[in-house]
Amino acid sequence: MINRLSKRILIVEDDIHISNIIKMNLNLVNYETTQIYDGLAALEAIQNSMIQVSGSAAGPFDLIILDVMIPGMDGFQLMERIRPLGIPVIFLTAKTTVFDKVNGLKLGAEDYMVKPFEAIELLARIETVMRRYGKEEQAIHYKGVDVYLDKREVTVYGEKAELTPKEFDLLVVLLKNKNIALSREQILEKVWGFDFYGETRTIDTHVKELRKKLRLQDSIRTVYKIGYRLED
Amino acid sequence: MKFWQKIYLFSILTFVVVFNIASVMVIERNHNKMLQQEINNVLSENMSIYTSVGEVIPIMKVYDSIDYDQTVLTNIAKRFVNKNWDQNAYLQITEGNRSVFSNVNFMMPQNRKELHPLNAHEIRYILRDIGNRTLLFTSNLASINGKDYVFTYVKDVTALYDERMDQYLFFVKADIGAVMLYALVMFLISKGLTKPIDRMIRTAKVIAEGRFSERVELKTRDEIGMLGANFNEMAEVVEDKINQLERNNHEKERFIQNITHELKTPLTSIIGYANFLRTTKVEEKQLLDGLDVIYSEAKRLESLSVKLMDLILFRQGHAELKTVQMLEVIREAESSLQMKAADRRLRLDVRCVEGNVRMDPDLVKVLISNLVDNAMKASSEAGIITIQSFRGRGSYTLEVLDHGIGIPEEHLPSLFEPFYMVDKARTKSQHGAGLGLSICQSIAEMHGARMEVESTPGEGTTIRTVFPFQDDTGGERE
Repeated sequence: MINRLSKRILIVEDDIHISNIIKMNLNLVNYETTQIYDGLAALEAIQNSMIQVSGSAAGPFDLIILDVMIPGMDGFQLMERIRPLGIPVIFLTAKTTVFDKVNGLKLGAEDYMVKPFEAIELLARIETVMRRYGKEEQAIHYKGVDVYLDKREVTVYGEKAELTPKEFDLLVVLLKNKNIALSREQILEKVWGFDFYGETRTIDTHVKELRKKLRLQDSIRTVYKIGYRLED
Repeated sequence: MKFWQKIYLFSILTFVVVFNIASVMVIERNHNKMLQQEINNVLSENMSIYTSVGEVIPIMKVYDSIDYDQTVLTNIAKRFVNKNWDQNAYLQITEGNRSVFSNVNFMMPQNRKELHPLNAHEIRYILRDIGNRTLLFTSNLASINGKDYVFTYVKDVTALYDERMDQYLFFVKADIGAVMLYALVMFLISKGLTKPIDRMIRTAKVIAEGRFSERVELKTRDEIGMLGANFNEMAEVVEDKINQLERNNHEKERFIQNITHELKTPLTSIIGYANFLRTTKVEEKQLLDGLDVIYSEAKRLESLSVKLMDLILFRQGHAELKTVQMLEVIREAESSLQMKAADRRLRLDVRCVEGNVRMDPDLVKVLISNLVDNAMKASSEAGIITIQSFRGRGSYTLEVLDHGIGIPEEHLPSLFEPFYMVDKARTKSQHGAGLGLSICQSIAEMHGARMEVESTPGEGTTIRTVFPFQDDTGGERE
């Protein structure tokens, strides 16, 4: 299991469906989520979480996903209020004007996402922000496979596995988007970068290698019409 | 050159020229007058010598001796000179090249053109500069015993020229003083006159920089004051126009932002759920829930697109209005509304009167159904919705009443704005987009009708549409 239970993310979004879909995506990769639908309640929840640090298990939120147009108190106002607390915030909004973007970032938001968004993009940005805040885990454990991110080492049931750099990157991308099917194009972009004009067949070979070296034949599934998915 | 500088410079130039010409003329005239007077004096003095000589001529004729002539003339001259000595006068008497008498203390000029030719009994005068003195020469000729004696009487008139120089010196001082004083006064005047213009220039610049509320403050009632008043009037109009444009622009911007938001929200859910369902391993319940969200959000998009088209069409459109019996239109709309009401277990009462109103019946049906739709959304089960109408003086009023949740007062002013929702969650749960009342408003405007809202939270809402109405066509046509 990837141990991410300690990472708590607050979703402040007034549209219940959008809030739910964010929650479902975050839960897939084992983030713990709290949903709140208006600004005032969010402020209260955030302040309460700060007070509870010492006592209860909850503790402060690790990240907040914040919609701008929410009832009670809008996202920008809320951002101003919670900025001193130092919790990273990603704005999520339908507003696309440059002014809104600049305003959001000026207020101290870590990132800014425009609706409609892709789930894996949101996850990637959360990942980046977590890393920036030093909240990224150093090791991922999955079905006897231990991945040490800092040393770029992988062991299978305690035995060191020799992976090429690209195979290692591919493994990390699959692990971080666990339970979500990634298309070959998405994998290509994340592992090889935007400017790589390789063939998607390259991925198939790398996946085949990973399955063999890490004994994950059943876990890395080929998903019809899409690509690959690492399953629990 | 600046305007005040032009006024200043030209007025000073004019002043200097006029003042100097006038002063020079006065001084010169004065001088000439005095000179003329002096000349007359000298001439008359000369004449008096001549007369004295004339008196003794008969005696001289008797003696007829050069010596005697000389003695007599010398005596007359001496007497005369003694009398006039203090006045800087000189006398010379000559006969040919021989000098009979002279008390001249300067070199007589060699060439004396006044003497050639000098006739008897004639007096001539001439002004000469000798040394640094100016001398007035008068000459006449007396013929005694066949000899021509020339009497030259000379008077020093330097004082007159000194006097003139004195006046010029004084004038230069006075001139400088006057010009300086005039320059100072003109400076203040020209500055004062152009100050309001400067102020207007500054104001115009400020306005040009975009601060349209700036006005110029002028208290004068002259042409410049009027210009200022007109300028302010113009600025007022410009400001109003700009504000109006800004408001329109702002409204449009908000409209577009709202459309974007209203389109993106359901799209985000649809894309999010669709992607979740296709990329993850989902259970049966998750699948059904997801599909349900996709379906209902897509439905919301559909209704939004229809409403949006309506709104855009009605906003720009001119309806073809014709006189139609309102009661018939209400009856036509009623049938489908009754069905909707029954579905929601609501009662719809219609209590309307006849009235011919100029309208586009299709649009009025849209208006009625939108209003009733809103009333239904506000009502709870078994509620009663009433459509009622009555004729007033020059108006036909249509009311839609409900006994639903009502609208809190703070929402009333914005109620007709596109995408405005009193209760977002409630509106969305009923697939509303916040466009219904905007559409009604647009339709009402096309009919020259006005809309009013009365509402009490918890008790219900009445929305009134007041159409203009001509009684003369009569209510009973059939």
